[in-house]
Amino acid sequence: MRTTFLVLAVAFLLQLTPLLAHHSFAAEYDGQKPIHLEGVVTRIDWENPHVYVYIDVKDDAGKVVNWALEGHPPNTLRRTGWIKGALKVGDAISVTGWRSKDDTNRIAGREVTLPDGKKLFLGPPAE
Amino acid sequence: MQRRFVRSIVTLALGFLPVVAQNSPSTKIPRAPDGKPDLSGIWQAIGVSLFGETGEVRPGEGRASTYGPREPAPYQAWAVSKVNELAADNRTDPNVHCKMAGVPRITGIPVPFEIVQTPKKTIILYESNHAFRIIPTDGKGHPPDLDPTYMGDSVGHWDGDTFVVDVTGFNDKTWLPGPGHFHSDQLHVTEKFKRNPDDTISYEATMDDPQVLAKPWTYRLILRHPPRDERIMEADCSENNQDLEHIVKDK
Repeated sequence: MRTTFLVLAVAFLLQLTPLLAHHSFAAEYDGQKPIHLEGVVTRIDWENPHVYVYIDVKDDAGKVVNWALEGHPPNTLRRTGWIKGALKVGDAISVTGWRSKDDTNRIAGREVTLPDGKKLFLGPPAE
Repeated sequence: MQRRFVRSIVTLALGFLPVVAQNSPSTKIPRAPDGKPDLSGIWQAIGVSLFGETGEVRPGEGRASTYGPREPAPYQAWAVSKVNELAADNRTDPNVHCKMAGVPRITGIPVPFEIVQTPKKTIILYESNHAFRIIPTDGKGHPPDLDPTYMGDSVGHWDGDTFVVDVTGFNDKTWLPGPGHFHSDQLHVTEKFKRNPDDTISYEATMDDPQVLAKPWTYRLILRHPPRDERIMEADCSENNQDLEHIVKDK
């Protein structure tokens, strides 16, 4: 009974911190696995329910690996300072975020540093 | 001379009256031409700040988007295991499938919505999944034989300065606020919108579902204007929904 109450209490608290508007952060990403990537933009899906930016990243062995960065929805990014043209294919960027739980090359993007040094939030903080 | 003095005092006092009235708490809120509190405008509960922080509506305001007592949803004993089962698998969330979030969950989705208030109906336009509600306030009740829907059927009335909305006619395909919080098609929601002098709305939704809840459950949110002047924008959730294939069952 006590366990049930605790589960429901935690669930109630969780409901107060929805993250990506469409799904919870923890459903897809691991807040204990922060990551920093530097790479070149290969594709931008400025679409709902979440923006995806793809970048080519060289690993330690020099092999190029394509990573997907998930961010806020386009409308939220617009409201937090982005415009669609702020990022272009070919731009060299760096990004911080958290790795996906399914071990694919996907991250929940948090902060992007654009080629001119400007920093913008791509997505929410981990919870 | 004395009469002139008294007249001046009375005139001065009368001149103060409207000022005093304007400054009293009950009249500080914007009002529609019919005298009702004016709820019109863009509102958002839990939201995204200028710094991209989800949950913080304005910098420095923290995450205080609720008020009053907070109680866990009082599910009936048989339903608790189903709640836990659904909550443990994020793929079961209707929102992840781009379904309309239903009432009252949609009020807390972290994107804005617009209230358009007219004398005979109040309309709520949600950015979330293009949902909308038309809430008649002309005294007519719910239509008979409602077909079940995601957003239900709403009728509104004013109880003093509080806008009260009765919502029924739901399907069982949405969740109440909270992970795994399923409900039946017997869900009945009573919402209260109260405009505050500090330019917020106190929102209260009481959910009653005799099929799954042991007693009515009340959920409260503070609605604020988003940090910038906003327009409700298009957001077609289904256009590139990649999440389903990558969401993992909680480990």
